[in-house]
Amino acid sequence: MTWWSRDPSHRTGAAPIAAALICALAVVTGAIAADRADTSGEPLKPVTLRFVSWKADHPRAWDEAFARFADSHPHISIVRELAPHSSTAYHDLLTQKLKNRDATVDLFFMDIIWVPEFASAGWALPLDDLFSPEEQEHFLPAAMETGRYGGHVYGVPSRIDSGMLFYRADLLAKYGFAPPRTWAELITQAESITRGERTLHPALRGYSGQFKQYEGLVCSMMEFVGGYGGHLMTPDLRHSLLSTPATLAAVEFVRDQIIGHIASRAVLTYQEPESVVPFIQGNAVFHRNWPYTWEVANDPRRSKIAGKVGVVPLPRMAADRPPTTALGGWLYAISPFSRHQREAWDFIRFISSAPLQRHFALAAGIAPSRAAVLQDEQVLEANPHFRAQLAMFHGATSRPRTPLYPAISNILQRYFSRTLAYRDVNLRAEAERADAQIDRLLEIGRSAR
Amino acid sequence: MMKSALRALSADHAAAWWMLVPALVFTFTLAVYPVIASFILSLYRIILSMPALGEPFVGLENYAELLRDPTARQAFLVTAGFVALSTTLELILGLCIALVIHAQFPGRGWVRAAALIPWVIPTAVASQMWRYIFNDQYGLANLLLFGDRVAEYVPWFASPGVAFLIMVLADVWKTSSFAALLILAGLQLIPDELYEAARIDGAGLWQRFWHITLPLLRPALLLALLFRTMDSFRVFDLAFVMTQGGPGDATQVLQLYGYKAMFTEGRMGYGSAVSVSVFLAIFFLSLLYIRAIGSRLLERNA
Repeated sequence: MTWWSRDPSHRTGAAPIAAALICALAVVTGAIAADRADTSGEPLKPVTLRFVSWKADHPRAWDEAFARFADSHPHISIVRELAPHSSTAYHDLLTQKLKNRDATVDLFFMDIIWVPEFASAGWALPLDDLFSPEEQEHFLPAAMETGRYGGHVYGVPSRIDSGMLFYRADLLAKYGFAPPRTWAELITQAESITRGERTLHPALRGYSGQFKQYEGLVCSMMEFVGGYGGHLMTPDLRHSLLSTPATLAAVEFVRDQIIGHIASRAVLTYQEPESVVPFIQGNAVFHRNWPYTWEVANDPRRSKIAGKVGVVPLPRMAADRPPTTALGGWLYAISPFSRHQREAWDFIRFISSAPLQRHFALAAGIAPSRAAVLQDEQVLEANPHFRAQLAMFHGATSRPRTPLYPAISNILQRYFSRTLAYRDVNLRAEAERADAQIDRLLEIGRSAR
Repeated sequence: MMKSALRALSADHAAAWWMLVPALVFTFTLAVYPVIASFILSLYRIILSMPALGEPFVGLENYAELLRDPTARQAFLVTAGFVALSTTLELILGLCIALVIHAQFPGRGWVRAAALIPWVIPTAVASQMWRYIFNDQYGLANLLLFGDRVAEYVPWFASPGVAFLIMVLADVWKTSSFAALLILAGLQLIPDELYEAARIDGAGLWQRFWHITLPLLRPALLLALLFRTMDSFRVFDLAFVMTQGGPGDATQVLQLYGYKAMFTEGRMGYGSAVSVSVFLAIFFLSLLYIRAIGSRLLERNA
């Protein structure tokens, strides 16, 4: 789950219930197009493209983008097929269609964690022939890397995305604190601010983040593991490293010093949309989330703390350790079963072009994946936090890049959730058990080679 | 004479078979075929994200793996606990509801209809509702208990035990009325004369319940028990919507585990093995119950 609705009122809409039950169709452009026309020979025959995406959080910014596309490409109409917000639920629905070679999906948003899986399964079209090296050079190399696997490019990065620390600038100023650079500082600040505000504001907690048993838990925990200099897996992706001292220390730290201490135990039930609510209600001093939170927290219609928000890179575990953050993001990708791949590519090229990325940055606060747009003065003026974001993005850690990631993620989620939610489990035994399960899975995965 | 009678008989037979065809086709395509297909799938190692592995036939390896899998064991325990607790509570509550709506009082029709409402609500919707009620920030439960003392609000779903109990509660709320319906049917079969005779003999309310209602209700109770056990063993939507199995797998039931294996992880063979074992568990439980019910019915008829 690397990216979520900007609108916290969607928090229940985020419920994965939608995954299995509903899939709404939204006709986006008004253009009437003859369906199923095979246009391989004649480019101007009307074509309908089906685009699987989540419900846009800034509908107007997207509607405008689609309208512009309709103007410049009158023969292509786009039908958006809305999938659930939760990355996992979205994944389950999309892969269901792709595995059935469903030709009604032409293009889709692909979470960066699915790239190895989709590449290996043949669920995303390699873009090497369409996406010229010159064009690729306009994108940040680290962003391009997210869409690459086994020497091929499978997706065009729509944004840059990594975990950030948001804080209440007004409260920190009131107590004379500079934004924390280490977790120890963050805890001290959180404790003294909540203590100081106790009579005025008893519901104020120090911290809010995502620790529910779901994909985002892996991101949250990976950041702490990295903070201790640890890794989830060996670089060759042959062994899980949960029972190494750094990784165990990370779990102990979160269990003993964050959850139930500076953060309410409720964070054990939070995904992104739930976790942002205490922060924008003014009930949390610090908040870890993805960059879109900047927009949410500064929107006076949704947030009680608009204009009082600061954002910095996530704290380090110690001053001499490097900062760590989880890498997220969404790519535009084409289905190999689409009958309109060329038109789908036309659309992707349009929607990820410099003018459109600029439009999304200004109208929706989405951090561009094109280097030039990210340095655009007007863009930076509207989004001063993009600078910090870029710095974080370059050091960001990706989750294990293997086609078996969905299964590994489930084991990781279970392990982290168990060790955080049950206070009395044997941490080392749980870690060893999860290590064994992951190693066994990787071994099965290697059996073909 | 003889010949034509035989012919007529076989014509009757043929007609009977033809009439059975729709039902047989229906049962086969919707019940038998999927089970067989799942079983066949479960004998292969299929990982959708790794077509390079091929789809080797592995015999019962997935089942052997399942027996060794600590996560599956945990899911089995959660499911069994859920079945035992929710079914027991549903039968008790269902009996109470049935006794109430069986009694004669003005507006009984309305009460009967109202009692069925929870059962009519789709589980996904009901699950979402219970998720709201126990939400830590704006849930009804916290509001009723603590009012505006927001600092004291309890994060119900953060505790493994409580999350499990909420799942049981949601199921009991939703399906007790179904149990009540089955039990009500049983109540209506008990002749009033028995009660009258008992009253004349001086039996009190409690004695009448204990010596007439309960024994004669046994078949209906067993039927309700059978239906509820079978149904709650394959619980999925409650956990899927409310908790996604968390925290720490406390609400991860077998079907959710199977779903994740198949639809998230693309491990079709292993996921099928999970489904087939749920099927087998339900199948043997039903056999057990049907034997029990069957013998009870025989006893009564004898």
